[in-house]
Amino acid sequence: MQEFDVVVVGGGASGLRAAIAAKRAGASVALLSKSHPLRSNSAIAQGGINAPLGKDDSAENFANDIMAAGDGLCERAVVQSFVEDAAKEVFWLEHMGVPFNRDKDGRIDRRPFGSNSRNRSCYADDRTGHMVLTVLHEQFQRLGIPSFEEWFVTSLAVDGEACVGVTALGLKSGKLDAFAARAVILATGGFTRMYAPSTVSIGTTGDGQALAFQSGGHLMDMEMVQFHPTVFPKGQGLLITEAILASGAQIVNQQGAPVQIDKSSPRGKLSLAISGAAQNGDGSLFLDLKPIGKEKILSSFPQTNELVKSVAGLDSTKDLIPIRPVAHRPMGGIETTASGETAIAGLFAVGECAANGLNGAGRLAGNTLTESVVFGKKVGEAAAAYAKSSAKKNFPAAKLADEEKKLDALTSGNSAEDSLAKVHAELGRLMNEKVGLVRDAGGLQEALSGIKSLQQRHQKIKVRNGGRIYNYELTTHFEVASMLTLADVVARSAQARSESRGAHNRKDCPTTDNVNWKSHTITKLAQGSAQIDKKPVAN
Amino acid sequence: MQVTFKVYRKDPEKDGKPGRSNYTVDVPDGATVLESLFKIRDEMDSSLAFRCSCLRGHCGDCMVRVNGSSRLTCTAKVSAYTQKGPEISLDPLRNVPVIKDLVFDWDAFMWNKISTVKPWLEADDATANGESIAADAQMKDLRKVMSCYHCGMCDEGCTVLPVDFKFLGPAALTKAYRFVFDPRNQHAKEQLKTVEGPKGIWDCVHCYEADEHCPRGIEPTKRIVALRDEAFRVGINNEKVARHHKSFAASVKESGWLDEGRLAIESEGLTNVSGLMKLLPTAAKALVRGKAPLPYMHAKRPGAEQIKKIIEKGEAENK
Repeated sequence: MQEFDVVVVGGGASGLRAAIAAKRAGASVALLSKSHPLRSNSAIAQGGINAPLGKDDSAENFANDIMAAGDGLCERAVVQSFVEDAAKEVFWLEHMGVPFNRDKDGRIDRRPFGSNSRNRSCYADDRTGHMVLTVLHEQFQRLGIPSFEEWFVTSLAVDGEACVGVTALGLKSGKLDAFAARAVILATGGFTRMYAPSTVSIGTTGDGQALAFQSGGHLMDMEMVQFHPTVFPKGQGLLITEAILASGAQIVNQQGAPVQIDKSSPRGKLSLAISGAAQNGDGSLFLDLKPIGKEKILSSFPQTNELVKSVAGLDSTKDLIPIRPVAHRPMGGIETTASGETAIAGLFAVGECAANGLNGAGRLAGNTLTESVVFGKKVGEAAAAYAKSSAKKNFPAAKLADEEKKLDALTSGNSAEDSLAKVHAELGRLMNEKVGLVRDAGGLQEALSGIKSLQQRHQKIKVRNGGRIYNYELTTHFEVASMLTLADVVARSAQARSESRGAHNRKDCPTTDNVNWKSHTITKLAQGSAQIDKKPVAN
Repeated sequence: MQVTFKVYRKDPEKDGKPGRSNYTVDVPDGATVLESLFKIRDEMDSSLAFRCSCLRGHCGDCMVRVNGSSRLTCTAKVSAYTQKGPEISLDPLRNVPVIKDLVFDWDAFMWNKISTVKPWLEADDATANGESIAADAQMKDLRKVMSCYHCGMCDEGCTVLPVDFKFLGPAALTKAYRFVFDPRNQHAKEQLKTVEGPKGIWDCVHCYEADEHCPRGIEPTKRIVALRDEAFRVGINNEKVARHHKSFAASVKESGWLDEGRLAIESEGLTNVSGLMKLLPTAAKALVRGKAPLPYMHAKRPGAEQIKKIIEKGEAENK
């Protein structure tokens, strides 16, 4: 068994920032990640990282844009603390080495992005996430924080009311181990792999949310799943940053004629408009990057150009690129305070796996990376402070043996005709069709019964591969279980919210109902099933 | 289309011996090698181990050799590799310890080497004055280098690593470039010293394979050459190869051509007795075979004065 003050689960931008902050606050820290941190989903963020740096901008302007995109579900106090710290964190990243694009005065350049009313998305070409992640990982290494890479967390250890650590399987060693901690920070990312197609990495399967939920944590606003408006939808789906729209790209029909769409709408509205235009006679829609000019495409969007070529087989300087809205990032997650505290003492959550009220019903484009670093720091510090002040609790003695038994049970038995990939593929289709950009009561009911039967099928599936080293079938079994658990919560929350707001569009309840629904949905586990409550927005 | 994948196999929990499995799969048009691997794992052999993460060319995790050449499986289209017939071989990268099947030891292959260069900026938190002011041209160069997604293709193509696995390799040295040339770094000189030491920049044979292999056009060899120039510029050049360069230039400047005897002695270092002793057998052989005229005299070649002027002009331009 290993022992630390703070264990961080997840090696993306939020996890690394939290680990750095906790370490600098004096805690002993370890980071566990199921892939190498530099391979995490943060690497694929492209467009920018928001901070109100312009002379024409202010924290107040920034807050107003966030509240508008959040469509009534943002928590004002959380937004306020976020906008006050955003610039500080971006400056910190700059000092640590992010090679931001510069304006003519040598200051950090900012570009227009999504529904930001000012130019406030700081960027490093179209690889902003990759650069931010790289620099965070550098600073993480600078502090010598132990990094358990390719370790898959199988359970939270909760002793009475408090979280006291995790158990994890080392993919390379094939061994289970216990990690005792005074505080655990979940920074496991989103869950959008429950949709097919989606814009996310293979590991974006909601592991942390499911672990917290099953251990007594609460999930908030899980029905709010943002669809990204400009995604090449074939194969795995290739997100094309909508920063290209503000730089001059057009949305056109098959004949190349521009389609009338307000390109500066919030993502949810833009996605609806694109999907609506496609259904209303324009057929398939395309992105036309030619108005940006070849030189600027190559200099400002080199990665877009590279990936459009290698993934879609198209030339972004000449060809029209087919697009449609595709499931991107959830706003919902583990309910936390601004300091990341959850309903379980000693358990913290941050980043895309958490919901602290910043994003409400829709996230402002360019806020994901800022959220990772602003709250990563806050939550890392809060967890370190908690670890310092809390009495040491014992890691439950039988926990590791129980987990061993669980793994043994999964890997012994008859191999069924059924498979994890089939269950996952059907879940993806079901979520996309019934719990997608537009939902209705009937479809949601079908989704719930579909999810239930997929859960029953999943429970019967055994892992055919009896090995432990790099047994990806075994880890996939856990991941599919997490996605099924959360898919049920997403569909139930969507069913409960009988209105349309932000990313949640109900065909049967098309208006926003501020009388009954200026509230978050809160889901908790009661007697083995999900129970949904309302929590009014505080302001 | 029916395609047979011939996949390298190794199971550390069984006999640990390398082997190969053949899987014939029906793959749809436009399928990638990665999608085929998923199909094999799901439908035919759940024990098959391979890595991947982003699924679309962002992250570099899924690097293997496809028909012998290193490729990201997520962007490699099956159809591009079946033109000579419906067979594709899949292997781990060359010269890398393999753990299981296509999963190799990234730590030994690359991450540990990168750690050696202390891969971080030593900078203060000071943010009161906002960002540091920098020209975009300088940042643009760093962005190019930092677009590296650690796919390992440069190290895979390196011709030194198969001979000397302790060589830091182009990936780690390119990482060092990023710190040495970042104006915000307070420890650039330390990092330069690290890579100027044994197994560092002087061990590169500038075969330019790394540049050929890098899918992002980062040109690692050129970065290594820039580090060498920088080492000379700031006066960190105590290594044998640096002495070799100096002696080479001095000889040509003085006599118009190379004085090999002087080069050997000055490269070893005049105070390096054990190094000089090692030269003796070679010197003796050269004498026996008439390759070293006695008495040892190195004459100027015709036109030596003009060559000297060319070199001096170049030195003046470099200042």
